Amino acid sequence: MSKPMRDFIHGELEWRPWVAPLDLNAATEAQLVALKVTPSNRAVGAYSLVLAHDPEALSERSPLYNGIMFGAKGLPRADRELGAVAASRVNGCAYCASVHALRFTQLTKEPEVMERIQADGVDAALDPRRKAILDYSAKLSRDPASVEPADAAPLHAQGLTDLEILDLTHAVAMFAWANRLMQTLGEPAAPAAKDNPP
Amino acid sequence: MSDVDVMDYLAGLPPGSTLAALRRERPDVVKHLQGSDDVIFSPQDDGGLTPAERAAAALRIAELLRDDALKAHYRARLAALDPSGALAKTVEGKATMTEPRWDAVLAHVDLVTRGPGSAERKDIDNLLAAGLSSHAVVSLSQLIAYVNFQSRVLAGLRMLKGAA
Repeated sequence: MSKPMRDFIHGELEWRPWVAPLDLNAATEAQLVALKVTPSNRAVGAYSLVLAHDPEALSERSPLYNGIMFGAKGLPRADRELGAVAASRVNGCAYCASVHALRFTQLTKEPEVMERIQADGVDAALDPRRKAILDYSAKLSRDPASVEPADAAPLHAQGLTDLEILDLTHAVAMFAWANRLMQTLGEPAAPAAKDNPP
Repeated sequence: MSDVDVMDYLAGLPPGSTLAALRRERPDVVKHLQGSDDVIFSPQDDGGLTPAERAAAALRIAELLRDDALKAHYRARLAALDPSGALAKTVEGKATMTEPRWDAVLAHVDLVTRGPGSAERKDIDNLLAAGLSSHAVVSLSQLIAYVNFQSRVLAGLRMLKGAA
């Protein structure tokens, strides 16, 4: 992990692309259709315009992301965000960790949880249910080949159903995907200073 | 496009099994996971990154992640697309790399799989300088990210299967 995790809690980072974003004036019909479906209302802009270079992949990934992070019932949304933050910490994605830490805190009103993860990473001391979620998420992110049937036991012991464990798995896996796009097609950047126009 | 659900196949979940049924409680995920697989490996417009190269890149990731089922899956896919075995040698053997464009692709596969946090602008610049289009760079990035996703879903399903 070579990049600092600045502004981890605050979710105020912007993203600067390394591949020239699509010029909307030159967009094909397929690209325009793909851009109508965006993974989250915060991510429109440069990131989506970069991904639109491959409209077929973008058109499938956006509804997949939404199904995983927002699908009804099953694992509470905040716990999916916790899985996303754990994966993002392991993968070193400051941008993703920042955005999803903020969402977790908005959903739970428990800022101390993300403060602990900010301080201690995926080794943070949390309540037993969240600790089980954090441990599994980190292990699955780090080395999927090391995951064994016994790793389900702590989750089951905390009352997670198989559907909830599947939801958590999907969320963590989705961030194995998202973190790899965000960190390799561009970089987080400090927001443009609104008070100091150039 | 195949009628086989790739994730069920990889995880060894027969139709009607408990875990196959559990997956169907997330119909959008099943549909768009398969849809992603289809467009990543058999796109209508490949942007210059061929289906054989895509299978070879995926095989390399399966190797890095030490996933035998994924390796077998992509090895078979690659064998069908690259009967000479030339690409397979570059990802499975110790053969010296062949040409700068493919060297650059494989270096990026390794970097993004193992240490996405250490990627830099020069890594993308290398791909563009090696002749990949913006479309191909994004397709390659989606492919690498997808196979990393796929391996985690597969690992979770295997865990649930073994714990049942």
